[in-house]
Amino acid sequence: MNAKKVSANVVAVFIAAFFAFPTYWMVTTALKPKKDLLSSDFDLIPSSVTNSNFVTAWTKPGFLQSLGNSLLVSLSAVVAALVIGLLAALALSRMRFRGRKGFVMLMLVAQMAPFEALLIPMFLMMRDLGLYQQLSSLILIYFAVTLPFCAWTLRGFVNGIPIELEEAAMVDGCGRWGAFRRVTLPLLGPGLVATSVFAFITAWNEFLFAKVMVRAEDKETLPVWLSGFQSAFGTDWGGAMAASALFTVPVLVFFLIVQRKMVTGVTAGAVKG
Amino acid sequence: MTAVETTDAAVPVRTSSPAPRRAVAGGARRRRGSAFDRLLPYLLLAPAVIGILWLIGFPVVSVVVTSFRKLDLGELVRGEVKWVGLDNYTKVLSDPRFWEITVRTVVFTAVVVATSVVVGLVIALLMRQLSTPIRILLQVCMLLAWAMPIIASTTVYQWIFDQQYGILNKILVKLGFDYAGHSWFSTGTATLSVIGLLIVWQAIPFLAFSLYAGVIGVPADLYEAAGIDGATAWQTFRAVTWPELKPLLMMVTFLSLLWDFKVFTQIWVFKEGGPSGGSTTLPVLQYLEGISQSHFGVAAAVSVLMVVILTLLTVSYLRKLLQTQEGKL
Repeated sequence: MNAKKVSANVVAVFIAAFFAFPTYWMVTTALKPKKDLLSSDFDLIPSSVTNSNFVTAWTKPGFLQSLGNSLLVSLSAVVAALVIGLLAALALSRMRFRGRKGFVMLMLVAQMAPFEALLIPMFLMMRDLGLYQQLSSLILIYFAVTLPFCAWTLRGFVNGIPIELEEAAMVDGCGRWGAFRRVTLPLLGPGLVATSVFAFITAWNEFLFAKVMVRAEDKETLPVWLSGFQSAFGTDWGGAMAASALFTVPVLVFFLIVQRKMVTGVTAGAVKG
Repeated sequence: MTAVETTDAAVPVRTSSPAPRRAVAGGARRRRGSAFDRLLPYLLLAPAVIGILWLIGFPVVSVVVTSFRKLDLGELVRGEVKWVGLDNYTKVLSDPRFWEITVRTVVFTAVVVATSVVVGLVIALLMRQLSTPIRILLQVCMLLAWAMPIIASTTVYQWIFDQQYGILNKILVKLGFDYAGHSWFSTGTATLSVIGLLIVWQAIPFLAFSLYAGVIGVPADLYEAAGIDGATAWQTFRAVTWPELKPLLMMVTFLSLLWDFKVFTQIWVFKEGGPSGGSTTLPVLQYLEGISQSHFGVAAAVSVLMVVILTLLTVSYLRKLLQTQEGKL
């Protein structure tokens, strides 16, 4: 039994190394001086360290611009989706009205829509609206991608807050709005954070629509900029890795905050069958 | 993005108690508020429903309509509407390349989904056997892979697999294999294998974490009972773990199918569907037809066929899912 446990742990360490290696390799490559990168030496462990790649990536034309674009697009879309999704979630979870079932199913089906398959009509639509080549087209699309997810997820979180708490607040003299603001909203905090982080990451990662909708260089988002990094800078792998690392950091920080909450969340409704 | 149910399913849905709230609102306000009360849910839902119908519903209709039109750059600029019936579909379906790409996409999706789900399950089961520090180490390392933005991980993989200076070739040379200057992207299949590895690597953490949550949820006394009955490890898995885990397993397989079928970013960034179209999948074909060559009608037909194929792949689970969710309301 003990030998079995030891071998399980050893196997696990190898698996852990497999998962961590690309991150390790990204960071160490980013820290290596240029001359060490394009050599045929075996260099699993860096022999000297520099921050010049980070400086290169940071000061490369377009990096800060596309970072700003990415933040603008992702944050606007997610804030809109979160507010509008929360309103819908409150209605679906707290109120009884004709057609409720239909609206819930609409949210469920909408979030399964394969967005990639809507590339052509989205492109034509944004063109007709005069939003082609505008960052606002991406805001609208990311809003649409994340809205059903936000509404559906937040509905689940609202369901988890006992309505009796709100009722107690109303007995104590709160209005409906007051009861929501003082009781439900604070309890909903962690759910709102988790939902917004996941929605943000979806928008932050998105590549296809960002590539199609805006072609002008000053309107690129970070994924598009990064995908062009190599063709533009050839074999500057140090710079590419430093840029990748900078792109990863915000997501990693967010992820560490919320992953525990969402892992059980996404799949909890598994169908018996 | 997709989530199917987010909080613990055991939490009762509390929608059936509007009565006390009205009682609180009190006599005079009740009558005044009732019309507003009846409208309120629709007002709250309106922005979301309008958004969904406008930005999802309309494009869904539009993609079907467009697929019956001849719409190239000329028609688009002139604003001309030219109906061609099923011509786009005939054109796409009679092209042997389309079938080759479809088979490639389905096989690729199946291999990626099967590999990631099986390995994810194995890691989830393994995690139960580990000592706490090692388990945390494994979880942190998986989290690193999971959190890396897709473009970042794609770039890192390109560097690792680089022909001249990539660390993989260096390691293989060090181990005594003749891999100096070996190209990992000489054929479509080879390219897709590397991309598949990248996708599996990044998909496993989510699968392992959610399946692990399922594994630790299996009541311990079931294992005790199996132990008392003298069951072997395999028998315990078949009789205890498997039935408890099966619903969750089907759910994550379904989600993986949805996610992996439509992969575009990684394939495009690696070789833009090459070499010579060898790693082109349906989403790439749609992009090439529609955006690169401006055959919007044909591309729309490809999109519709893509959705049809994806639906066929998931229909049995999809039906069950919708029924169960509807029953829960």
